[in-house]
Amino acid sequence: MKYFFTLSRWGLLCLLVFPGMIVRGQPAIKKYLTPDEINSRILDMARENTERAKVITMAKTPGGRSLQMLEIGKDLKAGKKNPAVLVVANPEGDVPLSDLAVLYLAGYILDHQETLKDLNWYIIAGLNPDAEMHFFQKPLYRDQRNGKPHNDDMDDQVDEDGFNDLNGDGIITQMRVKDPAGVWLPVDGDQRLLRKADPVKGEKGMYKLYTEGLDDDGDGLYNEDGPGGTDVGINFPHLFRAHTAAGGLWPGSSGEAYALMKFVSEHPEIAMTMVYGSTNFCLVPPKKGRKGSVDMNRIKVPKDMAKMIGADPDKTYTMKELIELVQPMVPSGMEITESDIAGFLGLGAIVNPLDEDLKYYKELSDRYKDYLKEKGMNKERLDPAPAKDGSVELWSYYHVGVPTFSMDFWTLPKPEKKKKKKSGLTAEQIGKMSKDDFLALDNDTLTVFLKEAGAPAQFGAEQIKGMVRAGQLTPEKIVTMLKQMPRKKETGQGDPKMQALVVFSDKYLEGKGFVNWQPVKHPIFGDVEIGGAVPYADNTPPPRMIDSLLSAQVPWIFTLTGKLARLGISDTRVTPKGGGVYELNIWIENKGYLPFPTAMGKKNRHVPPAVVQLKGQVDFLEGRDWTPVQSLGGKAVKKLSWLIRADKSTILDVTLESPNAWGDRKQIKIGGVL
Amino acid sequence: MTGMLLFPGISLQAQDETKPMTVPLRFDHYYTYEQVVEALKLIHKTYPDLTQLNLIGKSEENREIWEITINNPKTGKPLEKPGVYVDGNIHGNEIQAGEVCLYFIDIMLSNYGKNEKITRLLDKNAYYVIPVVNVDGRYHFFADANTMHSNRGLRRPKDDDHDGRINEDFPDDLDGDGNICQMRKKDPNGKYKTDPEDPRLMVRVKPGEKGEWTILGQEGIDNDGDGRVNEDAEGYVDPNRNWGFNWAPPYVQRGAGDYPFSGHGMKAIAGFMVNHPNILVVWAFHNNGGMILRGPSTKNERMNPADIPVYDYLGKNGEKILPGYKYMISWKDLYPTYGDFTDFTDNIIGSYSFVGELFPTKKETYREMKEEQPKRTGNFILSGSGNERDRERLKFNDFLAMGMLYKPWKPFHHPVYGDIEIGGWVKMSTRLPHPFMLEDLVHRAASAVMFTAGQTPEIKMQVLKKEKIGKNLYRLRVRLSNNKAIPSISYQSVANKVYPKDMLTVSGKNIRVVAGGKLTDIYTDRVNYKDYKPEVQFLQVPGFGKTDYQFLIKGKGKVQIKFTSRKAGTLIKTIDM
Repeated sequence: MKYFFTLSRWGLLCLLVFPGMIVRGQPAIKKYLTPDEINSRILDMARENTERAKVITMAKTPGGRSLQMLEIGKDLKAGKKNPAVLVVANPEGDVPLSDLAVLYLAGYILDHQETLKDLNWYIIAGLNPDAEMHFFQKPLYRDQRNGKPHNDDMDDQVDEDGFNDLNGDGIITQMRVKDPAGVWLPVDGDQRLLRKADPVKGEKGMYKLYTEGLDDDGDGLYNEDGPGGTDVGINFPHLFRAHTAAGGLWPGSSGEAYALMKFVSEHPEIAMTMVYGSTNFCLVPPKKGRKGSVDMNRIKVPKDMAKMIGADPDKTYTMKELIELVQPMVPSGMEITESDIAGFLGLGAIVNPLDEDLKYYKELSDRYKDYLKEKGMNKERLDPAPAKDGSVELWSYYHVGVPTFSMDFWTLPKPEKKKKKKSGLTAEQIGKMSKDDFLALDNDTLTVFLKEAGAPAQFGAEQIKGMVRAGQLTPEKIVTMLKQMPRKKETGQGDPKMQALVVFSDKYLEGKGFVNWQPVKHPIFGDVEIGGAVPYADNTPPPRMIDSLLSAQVPWIFTLTGKLARLGISDTRVTPKGGGVYELNIWIENKGYLPFPTAMGKKNRHVPPAVVQLKGQVDFLEGRDWTPVQSLGGKAVKKLSWLIRADKSTILDVTLESPNAWGDRKQIKIGGVL
Repeated sequence: MTGMLLFPGISLQAQDETKPMTVPLRFDHYYTYEQVVEALKLIHKTYPDLTQLNLIGKSEENREIWEITINNPKTGKPLEKPGVYVDGNIHGNEIQAGEVCLYFIDIMLSNYGKNEKITRLLDKNAYYVIPVVNVDGRYHFFADANTMHSNRGLRRPKDDDHDGRINEDFPDDLDGDGNICQMRKKDPNGKYKTDPEDPRLMVRVKPGEKGEWTILGQEGIDNDGDGRVNEDAEGYVDPNRNWGFNWAPPYVQRGAGDYPFSGHGMKAIAGFMVNHPNILVVWAFHNNGGMILRGPSTKNERMNPADIPVYDYLGKNGEKILPGYKYMISWKDLYPTYGDFTDFTDNIIGSYSFVGELFPTKKETYREMKEEQPKRTGNFILSGSGNERDRERLKFNDFLAMGMLYKPWKPFHHPVYGDIEIGGWVKMSTRLPHPFMLEDLVHRAASAVMFTAGQTPEIKMQVLKKEKIGKNLYRLRVRLSNNKAIPSISYQSVANKVYPKDMLTVSGKNIRVVAGGKLTDIYTDRVNYKDYKPEVQFLQVPGFGKTDYQFLIKGKGKVQIKFTSRKAGTLIKTIDM
């Protein structure tokens, strides 16, 4: 019962809260909140702001909780549809801080009119409420799955073998069991930590490691079928992996993920996605380097297909060439598109972020680092997690095609490394030295080198130099001898995350982030020790840190929304050509920093085009009254031209509309100034 | 009920609605969506004990999607038997698939108790049949003017031409005959001239030859003024690319829909299937071309090699039942598809799944029997028609279909193109057999389903040995055998761990199972004993084969041996020790 990482304890710590920046009207967030508490806070916000906010219930979770979205907009009641930002928190349900970030954000928006000028917000505080509950329950354990029952071990029972709190401390940690077949060893220097023995280095393990619990169903496995089913956070379709333990039967098989996909599909005004969880695309751009992306300019056609369409299987083709090759072969009226070819040849999906998008991610990440420095938040910390296959982040970038960012807010500080002095010398260099060169080496450097090379301690620098001076040794001989020395074992340091955890726990948590190993009698194993990392200690800072972390990092989102593509009409010109014929030019521009749409959005064609509409009494000789604009780079201008016939007095009404990149409206008098 | 003959020109193909519908159903015509529903209700009314009619969902346009379960409750509840699932018409235009389903239901029920084979088939399995999956598609295929290819997708709005407007350029039935045919215009610079052998056809001019016609494509106008005709009709979301296994987004797979199971019907059917874990056989009927397809649907997927002989046995027998059909691998012999139905059922539901592509058009013949059949290119989209074949099909139209399949060219004044001609194959042609061939088609396709249904596992349990080998210690050997082609679980499901394997459980009040495991050699007594819980064995019973288990049991008295399978039923034997 000793080591609690529970809320009540945190509650006590709250007394020491550092107020940080308190948002107007919104009290500082001082403790972690359950999904129900978050939902009721959200309902309160909507109730207090009926003109500007409302709550949409998106789904019921298998655990019976409601998945809620808070919509905020200036003219919500009037039903005005502005471009909108989608914010999704905690898709994997194990980052309690991310739910609070959403509350902070919503409060901030409601308190700052300017954030609502012409932008709406769809905010989901906690996409995975079932999993979120684990943080608030005893015994404490981390699990990313929702409450859907699932037969994890494919036996005759469902959810029958979860964890058991054997030492009664309210926390599920680990059991280490002395076992001749064990593979774990204590880490030198910190016996609390374990590392894997390396048989290549002649090491033999000492412990077997299990999660804390019993074999409830008597099948020889421990805690292999606890309650819970689908990890909502990996239940999305980009790189979804079928037949995994927690991913769900299919992408969107969880009601939570399905509801979000359906909502996004029905809301083309979404201009950007922000995910609060364990990844950080603001800091670390989406990962490249996955195998499997097809180069659309060098497509190979398999032999049998090549024969069918008259292509050469030994050549490569561009997408355009293939379309031209296939088009004449299909019934008239059927238009061959890129996706027809991609489907026909089984080219598969794009799996790496496109370079044109990465440029922006990198630049924005540099700006974000500057921003963090200004806020004094630039201390080195452990890296955010990479996005998982099937995650919301990847789906939003690859399938929805809008700028997608994410934030993790906190990871453990990187422990400061003791700097080891290095000699900068290699055995090869020594071996080639003359006697004089060797004797000229300073003693400190030589000492470090000898240590690095594994020389016995009794051979000091001065002693060796003496032997060289006396002609008993040559530099070459020294190297030969050193090479025959048995190598000193390099001791493993174990998992750097665990190292960071114990350092943080000792320094800031009075040791409560790690349960020290204690002997317990286990009904099957006999004597075991129970201990290890406290769940959440590595991703959930003490409550006193919440406010300063959020107030510093959350507002970055407003810098990002300020960079969204924003379309407008920059200039118009009417040039008379004679006989009532005019050339009409309209320059449309993207005033925003980000391109319309992202390169990926251009590729996947999910983002609707912008449309220039001309209304008025004119005949179109060239061009027409409806002109879709598929893309426009950041800060770019595009000139559109028409040839029209009209009366001088005609007034043309020009609108530029895009659901998610704003638009513009102008009137043009054909005969001159309005 | 649509109380009218929809297409006067081809009236033979529509149901004569002046006569009331009767059971057994007639298959000398096609059923509209409303008539399919009426037929299902009538069948259920006629055979209330053997059928259940379930409304499993509603479409985008709020039409009802009906499923009918055929099961004899006297031989057990549906979930206790192997499930055979049959559907059709997932593509709105592929209507005869619905008739196959209706015929299958009809022949099973109307022969129950009369024909011994059918009675046995009905008794052994539970059948789940959804004659029309794409209910909106079937409705609109009949009600609206169409080509034989159009109206395939779901009624979900989709901006196909990505111009910011949705479904704004449907085909237009300019001459008001209910068909979308072809348009051509006299043009001395055209690339075609009249076929000297049949003036209804055109042939490409040779270099230097004078042209006569320009082919303008499908009947229609450029409704949205973008210079293209009929480029943004319904959808396009392809209901057979919208399933949640190996789904790929629309830029990879046209028609995928924005996300898996965005289609109402698809989501409803997936839910239905998950709730019917006994489904072990799936037949999904489409048209056309004459193919029996099995997965996988893309080259990156893998089918478990041990399942292939099962598929081959069923597929190759299918080829014989359906002459002119080829048993093929979907991605390799046709084309790759992501997110299709049978990949979903293979991999998530754990069934042996076939797609029946009905109606090889080559059956439309006008020639002597012996002649060599023209070869297909093997690909549906790219299988060019070729004039020789077209001439024969026109003869077939003239002398066997009495002109119902083809509309001769007729002048028309087009608002944009001026004087043109409209003509060509009508919508109820090409992919659909003339009604005189329909009965043959539905019977053979239903027979292929019945053959597969006959091969669902029939597990038998046999106690091979019960001997005392010590004080209160017994050796028990149990054999589970199956003399049908389909195993109790597919090998793919076992490998993917989609659901637990079958179980053999030994229990009794006064006994304890000391050891138990698979008997690998009955003569030398080799057993793979299971380390934990020996009283429960997880297993699969292969097709045309057996599996043996041995238990060492301490105690005495009654011992229950129980085999439970998700898909192959439950068997219980009680013995005395």
